[in-house]
Amino acid sequence: MIDFLNYLINGSLVGLLYALIAMGFIVIYRASKVFNFAQGELVVFGGFIVWWMVIETGLPLVVALPLAMLLSALFGLIIERIFFSRLVGESAFAMVMVTIGLLILIRGLILVMFGPQVRPFPVIFSLKPVIIGDVLIPRSLLVGAVITVVVGLGLSWFFNNTRAGLKMTAVAEDHQVALSMGISVKRSIAFAWALGAVLSTLGAIIYLSGKSLNFLASDIGLAALPVALLAGFESIAGVLLAGLIVGAIQGLVTAYVDPVVGGAVGSVFPFVIMLVILFIRPTGMFGWRTIERV
Amino acid sequence: MDPAGIFATSFARDAALVRTRPQQIALALFLVFLLLLPVLFGPRLLAISTLILILSVVTLGLQITTGYAGQINLGQAAFMGVGAYTTGFLATKLGLPFWLTIPLGGCSAAVFGFIFGLSAVRIKGFYLALTTIAAQALFHFFVLNLPWFGGSNGLTLDPATLFGFAFVTDTSIYYLCLAVAALMTYGAYGIVRGRFGRAFVAVRDDDVAAGIMGIDIVATKATAFLVGAFYAGVGGGLWAYFVRFVAVDQFTLFNSIWFIAMIIVGGMGAITGALVGVVVIKCIQEGFVSLGPSVVSQFPSIGGDVVFALMNVFLGSVIAAFLIFEPRGLMHRFDILKRSYRMWPFPY
Repeated sequence: MIDFLNYLINGSLVGLLYALIAMGFIVIYRASKVFNFAQGELVVFGGFIVWWMVIETGLPLVVALPLAMLLSALFGLIIERIFFSRLVGESAFAMVMVTIGLLILIRGLILVMFGPQVRPFPVIFSLKPVIIGDVLIPRSLLVGAVITVVVGLGLSWFFNNTRAGLKMTAVAEDHQVALSMGISVKRSIAFAWALGAVLSTLGAIIYLSGKSLNFLASDIGLAALPVALLAGFESIAGVLLAGLIVGAIQGLVTAYVDPVVGGAVGSVFPFVIMLVILFIRPTGMFGWRTIERV
Repeated sequence: MDPAGIFATSFARDAALVRTRPQQIALALFLVFLLLLPVLFGPRLLAISTLILILSVVTLGLQITTGYAGQINLGQAAFMGVGAYTTGFLATKLGLPFWLTIPLGGCSAAVFGFIFGLSAVRIKGFYLALTTIAAQALFHFFVLNLPWFGGSNGLTLDPATLFGFAFVTDTSIYYLCLAVAALMTYGAYGIVRGRFGRAFVAVRDDDVAAGIMGIDIVATKATAFLVGAFYAGVGGGLWAYFVRFVAVDQFTLFNSIWFIAMIIVGGMGAITGALVGVVVIKCIQEGFVSLGPSVVSQFPSIGGDVVFALMNVFLGSVIAAFLIFEPRGLMHRFDILKRSYRMWPFPY
């Protein structure tokens, strides 16, 4: 029983971490209607910025972390300025394909700037686990979960209740309509990429704290996809619930099915969930019902 | 558009692929060049050429799925892997000859692709792309966990044999790949200008309008995946006989992304575009790989891995630049050039 509780809670917390990464997808989708395949590379890039600030230049954490966020926001803005500001009015297809080009490009940039070696990531949250009763919880995941929930609810409020957020939502509905309503699509996309990059850096900090880092860490971007899909691509608060569900299921499957089958069912299971969602309810739990069916 | 003075006087003439005398000569010269290539080039260039032929087959499939039918496919490497593993399995465990294993590899890949293409029943656009990512993940899982594929050790193949002749040397395997690639290219031309190809283009351009015109959209999309995956599987089979070793990390999501890059650069919606894209991207990659060591020896301060990374930076920018400045790729540029040459001195 206590094992079950352990797996359940840890799985859910990992799920919330996925939710934070998935939020990066959703924010960019929600404000620009672009599905960003390069999300995992953004996470790794953010991670390397933090590593460079803390380990290489030796700044104290209090200075380094906000500075890293600022730098990654700047990186997001640069991406928007170079690529996406030229593509306003083009088809969504072209924009999404550009993110595939970005994936290759950012991976190359990471290799040029930081090399392929495995780097130690700074310990940001103490490695001592939190122990409640008999349940053992890694501190970084617990703190991360709190941050995720706060950020998720905050962003959800921002996108659904403020004037600026609703403007961006209009951009996600339709670029042409948004333009004709006097909304700046360009500014919305710029904001989306800055925010997406910052969220990715935040995700990297929680995900990598005390672990090692190299360019292969970008796989987490794909692992977060089922979460974003289960929530529906437009719902920011929904992604928290979706993260809990996917994480808990994955945790339990890893614990109880993997030893039986003798393979990594846990790591592939989210994709099975994803396929099932796509077949049964492509809009996810909270997505807008605007998917055109044929 | 045909040059001035060329008029089709019969249906056969109108349907012909090669339409003018200069085109016939160019095609003949190109084929002679391909046949003589092992004599002209050294072993390294020959190996690269063989690789280009194999990748051409796979990219042709992606061109049909993505370029013609407009279905984004991020699982082409997985489909190729299914073909390679099927070929490897049939050849090593059952001892079937290559002229059976390669088509069967194509068929098994086609079935695998068809299953994921079926999700087009419910969804479209980028959601469909996500199912192909799932295909990639599931492929890895199944290969590593099913007992028949050697797990993480991979499969090692014997060379292909035909009437006692073994395709061991680089030259012989080159001719095998050339024959298959030529056949598949001819087939691709046949598909895209026939009934199915027109249905693909109609669905790509506007699926609602296509449906109103009486095209079965779901069947068309699923067929596009079927054909594209079949090409990938055949390419995978060739790969298995070329490398004679099949491992799961030869078919990653990153490889799928490279295939997409190839059709973007070459030009979407043109069979020649796929071939041009493969040649251009592969030549740039190999150029970086072979020039890299001499650059490093000139400037020892940059490490060897930086050159490889720079290649990614360069190609990533090339893809983005093509999408921004010329979304229809190199072939479209070439067509514009050809057209204005034929029109000259008139503007239109």
